[in-house]
Amino acid sequence: MGEVIVITSGKGGVGKTTSTANIGTGLAMMGKKVVLIDTDIGLRNLDVIMGLENRIVYNLVDVVENNCRIKQALIKDKRYPNLYLLPSAQTKDKSAVTPEQMKKLTGELRNEFDYILLDCPAGIEQGFKNAIAGADRALVVTTPEVSAVRDADRIIGLLEANEIKQTHLIVNRLRTDMVKEGNMMSSDDVVEILAVDLIGIVPDDEHIVISANNGEPLTGSDCQAGQAYMNICKRVLGEEVPYLDLEVTKTFFQKFAAIFRR
Amino acid sequence: MNDTVVIKGSKSGIILVLSPDASYETLKKDVAAKFQASASFWGAASKAISFKGYELSDEQKNEIIDIIQNNCQLSIVCIMEDDPLVESAFRKSIEDHAIKDKDISNTGQFYKGNLRSGQVLDVETSIIIIGDIKPGAKVISKGNVIILGSLKGNVYAGASGNPNAFVVALDMHPVQIRIADTIARSPDNPGKSSKYETKIAFLEDGNIYIEPLDKDVISDIRL
Amino acid sequence: MSFLSNWFKSSESSSNIAKNRLKVAITSDRAVCSPELMEHMKNDIIKVISKYVDIDTDGLDIKVTRTELDDDSGTVNAVLASIPIRDTKPFRK
Repeated sequence: MGEVIVITSGKGGVGKTTSTANIGTGLAMMGKKVVLIDTDIGLRNLDVIMGLENRIVYNLVDVVENNCRIKQALIKDKRYPNLYLLPSAQTKDKSAVTPEQMKKLTGELRNEFDYILLDCPAGIEQGFKNAIAGADRALVVTTPEVSAVRDADRIIGLLEANEIKQTHLIVNRLRTDMVKEGNMMSSDDVVEILAVDLIGIVPDDEHIVISANNGEPLTGSDCQAGQAYMNICKRVLGEEVPYLDLEVTKTFFQKFAAIFRR
Repeated sequence: MNDTVVIKGSKSGIILVLSPDASYETLKKDVAAKFQASASFWGAASKAISFKGYELSDEQKNEIIDIIQNNCQLSIVCIMEDDPLVESAFRKSIEDHAIKDKDISNTGQFYKGNLRSGQVLDVETSIIIIGDIKPGAKVISKGNVIILGSLKGNVYAGASGNPNAFVVALDMHPVQIRIADTIARSPDNPGKSSKYETKIAFLEDGNIYIEPLDKDVISDIRL
Repeated sequence: MSFLSNWFKSSESSSNIAKNRLKVAITSDRAVCSPELMEHMKNDIIKVISKYVDIDTDGLDIKVTRTELDDDSGTVNAVLASIPIRDTKPFRK
């Protein structure tokens, strides 16, 4: 039986889609059978981040409306044969799908896949309700900014109210230099405010922009963000992995000199 | 095997002969068994169905169709009345429709403006667009699609199945082009974007080709 | 630029300011009822009141707002309810 994980944030632009693409890719690299579902109907983006936009024939709405079978709508990844994408529709809106339909869909996919990752739209309306309907656990993405943290708190409250069993936090776009100067909240500050378990810290890394430009997630590659996402994947699988030293490093070994922050 | 249920195939449909002496419950069981046994023979075709013998109510007909669809890959698109008059009327309307298809590539409409992500332009005839098709936008036409601008989105020409439909654009960089039942997508690693050149996309031997719109290609166009 | 950051440092780092502001904002966010809780509360109120009077449930409006105390000693969260009555039921007892 597969596990359904929703990646959500409340605020837009904090890195939900990037995180979904990278965590999905990482889990696939470790041999898991993974499907990514873009639940942002009307504003799809996961397909371009994955570099699969030119392969879309059917989408999520076609599947729930029974215009096609699930298998017809699943797009196989360019690099990993055990990674699939179920793209969202661009021409409909959130009301085209109901929470019940999402529950049914994820239920069916559980039999086929080890992990079902749902990329949640920003906001707390219909799209959010659809995305969390069938989820077992949630990864909440936030950046160390006041607006993002406040929205993350609201989302965590809603996840608890909807009985999502496990909620973990990803602090994205952290800038160690600014934290040192006292001009950015640290991941510890964010965790203290939100009172939820941390599962990963992703540094602000220009490689993320380049990877999005190329349509190839960077998990596992030799850069800080790539390593950070790999570690998140291992922690999703239940491994204990020390947190990266996000100092601006010069040598290869320094990069792996990890510190325990917990 | 008893013969309470006999399946006869015709060109476009299935005639299901049900014994009027059997009970409805036995018929249901036998229909399920027969179609399960012959599932591989039918494949995933779409068929019309007509019933003979046993007098079925509308509800029972629907139930039988559900049983068929649950036991094999067939999809039953409609129920045909077993009446020669009705059948000839059906045939006539299908033929009329086919003739209309032919005209589609010869009649057209104009559209002025750019199509952006999420917008869909769906037309019954051929279409000439004065403007650009941006990524994420889509044009669907039963005929040909001519774009006086750049094509960077999706186009579906010959949407009713016409393999002679074509797509012309002043600047041809589509995400996806579909003609009749064939889909072509852009390469994953596009090289240096080629220069602004008028190109045509057409279907030949099950492949979609994109070529510069020169004299030879134009002479091959069939309207 | 450097004199600016020094100027900020002289009082408190901006990350600390952010942290403290967030703590206050989030505490008051949490105090206000979630839409689901509001819905439950609304239904319960309707149940109780309609035992005694016939109310117009469509015209019902219940919200939680911050209100100033009469003696200017600060603000509190208060439940404000506007419940139109159609007809008083005959008193049963």
